[in-house]
Amino acid sequence: MAPTAASTTNSDGRRSRLALIVTGGVGLAAASPFLRPLLGMGTADAASKSQDLRILQLVLQLEYTQVALYEQALKEASLNGQLRDFARTALKHERQHLAAVKQALGSKAGPKPRFEFGSKTKNAEAFRQTAIKLEDIAVAGYNGQAANLTKPTLAVAAEIVSVEARHAAWVRAIAGEVAAPDPVDKPMTASEVSAALNEIGLRTS
Amino acid sequence: MDEQRDFARFLHAVDVDGAIAEASHQRQLALSRRGLLAAAAAGAGALVLGRSEARAASGLSANDVGILNYALVLEYLQASFYTEAERSGALSGKTAQAATVVGATERAHVKAFQKLLGSKAVKRPLFDFQGVTEAQQAFLKTAVAFEDLAVAAYKGQAPKLRSSAVLAAAVGIHSVEARHAAWMRELFGVTPAVNAFDKPATKQNINRIVASTHFIVAHPKMKARSKPQYTG
Repeated sequence: MAPTAASTTNSDGRRSRLALIVTGGVGLAAASPFLRPLLGMGTADAASKSQDLRILQLVLQLEYTQVALYEQALKEASLNGQLRDFARTALKHERQHLAAVKQALGSKAGPKPRFEFGSKTKNAEAFRQTAIKLEDIAVAGYNGQAANLTKPTLAVAAEIVSVEARHAAWVRAIAGEVAAPDPVDKPMTASEVSAALNEIGLRTS
Repeated sequence: MDEQRDFARFLHAVDVDGAIAEASHQRQLALSRRGLLAAAAAGAGALVLGRSEARAASGLSANDVGILNYALVLEYLQASFYTEAERSGALSGKTAQAATVVGATERAHVKAFQKLLGSKAVKRPLFDFQGVTEAQQAFLKTAVAFEDLAVAAYKGQAPKLRSSAVLAAAVGIHSVEARHAAWMRELFGVTPAVNAFDKPATKQNINRIVASTHFIVAHPKMKARSKPQYTG
């Protein structure tokens, strides 16, 4: 898995690192023709690069959902003050996460989903509550896959998950809520994450 | 050494009115450049090997025991810091509420690691927070530094853990520390999430930073201070 000089001189070193780790250079995507359905993904499987790719499809949906929520809320929810600052900053971060995951997946990246957020992006408080839910789902989703990832991919995922956790605490603290309610964050399985994203508004069909 | 530069910058950014730097100058019985675990062991007398609960850590590799003890020292540091701040009576409003919640969580982390490690758990070091628990702004600034450090430390160690079960627990704590970091930053009035990617830190860098604060001491202080000190 020796990174080539060309791929490490990317302007965004982070992105190319994740892409290199997961694809291992050339041809790995082609080497895993039997993509198991995401929801059937077991947790007892040994970590492997092909499994990293399957997990990244889930992560891709998470990041797509976050980008879409923040984009739409910034347009529709009449955000101002601290909440608008939060949404702008979080959107900037989620776009970088999404770009990194898309690049890692390359041609294997699933299509951009549709979203039906309904009233969730129509006013500030509805958006804030949804943002809390979604950031908590992201934290639980990443944490739930930690033991299934290869170590190099885990290292990059760990750089993302703590930023999602910071977002979750930030958007709670803006309203004076207890920003870290639990002593340990509970993980979610892949199927729990998918169900939760659908509830927020992700549509895959 | 980008990482070192980042941390120097980070500490500088966090140390807005110089409390951490001040604390460094007020050192007494300082442990200078010794490692965090060495410091903890010195402060505690020794590792308490084989005293009780020899069972708990039996399934863990030496590698994981080492990492867990390192995490335990960081949790001791945080738990003692919040407990002392709560008891000092210097905190008010949302900051006091946050300190209570976060303190309880850090104490729970300490208990969890102690239970997991059993007789292999390092003992709690002695701490002297040198006044930062006795004023709200100094408290918040130190809390931001501690929490950001904890996030970076867990992130640096998580991929090195061998046991999947321990890893699952560690990542669940790692993200909670990140929530704490964001919360303390919000209260202190700085951006809760600066970058899209949070950097890890090596054990060496964490040790260097913790040593530079001189918050871990080898012996209890001899002279009484103006306010009582707590180590709980």
